[in-house]
Amino acid sequence: MQLALNQDQTQVLDFIDSLARPYASVPLHDHSLALESAELDAALVANGFLDVMAVEELGPVTAALVVEKLARLPFAIEAAASALVRPLVDPELPRPLCLVEEGRLTRPVRFLRPGATVVVVGPTGVRSFTASENLIAPAQEDTLYAYPVAFLTGLPEALETHDVDAAEVARAWRVAIAAEAAGLLSAALASTVTYVSERKQFGRPLATFQGMRHRLAEDQVLTNTAYWLALRAAGTGDAGDAALALMHAQEAAKRVCYDYHQFLGGMGMTLEHPLHLWTYRLKLLTAELGGRGAQGLAAAEALWG
Amino acid sequence: MEFEWTAEQDAFRHEIRDFLHANLPGDWERFAEHGPASPALTAFAREFCVKLADAGILFPHWPREMGGDGLGPWEQQILAEEMWIAGEPRGGQYMNVNWIGPTLQKYGTEEQKARYLEPITKGQSLWCQGFSEPDAGSDLAALRTRATLADGNYVINGQKIWTSYAGLADTCFLLTRTSDDRKRGITIILVPMDTPGITVRQIPSLIGEGDIHEVFFDDVTVPESARFGDEGQAWEIIAYSLRNERLGIPRFVLARAALDRAVQMLKAQGEFTREAVRIEAARCAALCEAAGTVNYAVVQRRVDGLAVGAESSSARYATVMAERDVCAFVVEFLPEALAGASPYLKMHHQRGIVAGVAAGSAEIQLNIIASDVLELPREPR
Repeated sequence: MQLALNQDQTQVLDFIDSLARPYASVPLHDHSLALESAELDAALVANGFLDVMAVEELGPVTAALVVEKLARLPFAIEAAASALVRPLVDPELPRPLCLVEEGRLTRPVRFLRPGATVVVVGPTGVRSFTASENLIAPAQEDTLYAYPVAFLTGLPEALETHDVDAAEVARAWRVAIAAEAAGLLSAALASTVTYVSERKQFGRPLATFQGMRHRLAEDQVLTNTAYWLALRAAGTGDAGDAALALMHAQEAAKRVCYDYHQFLGGMGMTLEHPLHLWTYRLKLLTAELGGRGAQGLAAAEALWG
Repeated sequence: MEFEWTAEQDAFRHEIRDFLHANLPGDWERFAEHGPASPALTAFAREFCVKLADAGILFPHWPREMGGDGLGPWEQQILAEEMWIAGEPRGGQYMNVNWIGPTLQKYGTEEQKARYLEPITKGQSLWCQGFSEPDAGSDLAALRTRATLADGNYVINGQKIWTSYAGLADTCFLLTRTSDDRKRGITIILVPMDTPGITVRQIPSLIGEGDIHEVFFDDVTVPESARFGDEGQAWEIIAYSLRNERLGIPRFVLARAALDRAVQMLKAQGEFTREAVRIEAARCAALCEAAGTVNYAVVQRRVDGLAVGAESSSARYATVMAERDVCAFVVEFLPEALAGASPYLKMHHQRGIVAGVAAGSAEIQLNIIASDVLELPREPR
């Protein structure tokens, strides 16, 4: 047992911090429902941050740390699937990587665009194809999710089959989403804490009211536990740990997304405040891989048969 | 980061497990249903702790100058986990090795160390913690039990309540008021429980016989040398001790073991095929593992010699969440367990429901998280 960051991990995270500094806040007067940055994406790729899992002294825990860290930014970055799942399927697959479940092809697909790699995971195996224009339908223009999303209109006739265990890919997928959710939880909490510490009503900051303090403190516990379960799942590579981590993160997301918008009151209903850039990513992640119940069933199977 | 135990740590765990297997009686599970403070378990622990001492696993985490093996915080954690998961066969003596001994070593006079440390190391002494009072629970600094120094003696008058182990304890680690200064007026006195003027009354409880008491002090007279630390130093000393106790009981391992036990019983009944049951069991497992991992993150801080502050409150609250939901799971899906079908699950329930109350309430932990982890502006007083 050794739960402190090692020197390599600290270095990687520090480097990401300095690289991402220009993207740490929302550009002035930008009231977008979702933010993306091609420059940031390119910089992350150029510096190899999405490929740390394959580096022996870094590995999956560092990849999860990178994903968690990047999710804290207001910009949506396709990092989770690329950093934690792609190495198992084919490290050379072009990004962005879109993971979809066989049999659930009607769901909004994050980062889907022409040229993206769609990986279909399910009972018949793991298959992929490059998305082309004719297979993509745009989502409603003012969709609330703070990810770029689109729909698949169907599958191409030929998909590339990958020689990898679908259950193992699902495990890594759970770890990836758990790590991303952990970062989103952390950033959403920080954003809310800042607001309620400054906003005054009845002559004092909202954060001085115990009705809010105790809920925020519980949200801190959920956020902290989600972080550690995600890292642990990355570290052990265990199927049960992965399902527990994602189940817990999805549980936490459901609770805090309600709390935080509630605490921000009217401001939390506007696009002037960036909170939605984290919470509406979290909300979409609660639907990933069948949601909490599906993770619960997967965990129960792994733990108790 | 490394989330697996080392081979040495695994070996240490197995050493303890093997010892327990060889030394606990066959009917131990039913026996452990007696509360940890019951006369039966206390008497058992007085013999069992001697065996632990002889085997060198009563306080292996103590530094060598105290007679320990100087093992680190991870080994202390493993020891605590294996004892608690087995139903805590050390009874109330777990407190001795977790914090009373180390606190005596740090703050005690030579006379106090000579008098109290040896019985602890032999597995032969039982302490109680005279903290809460009828009007001073979470608001501990409101305590009123008064100690007055006269002619080289302290004369103590007042009342303690919800005191665990008081019925059979040899010594009380007693908080008294020596001046009206709220926190700096509190002083610790080590009071032998057979001192005239002490009356102990048991309060019937949900958590097993002999666990909760009220203790009355009527002109209880002890020499000035019974004072522990300086007058007014109690708050500093108990902050040190409680920080250790907060990690002292690894409740999440018993919660997880109880959950596993419940699942096995549900499987035998054919009930574990229901999706609702499986999902709820998994949710509870996630809470147990979450609590475990964040507690380990705090242990890591101790290993690294870093200050342990409010993150231990966060870890404790995670434990409370796990206990709450595992207790509820068992009652919802296996109600017969608490009515005779499973001594182990009843034992867990009775220990689990205390998680948010003992050693500082869950709500106090939330206050600490709000102020010291989230750094929210403080509530007006």
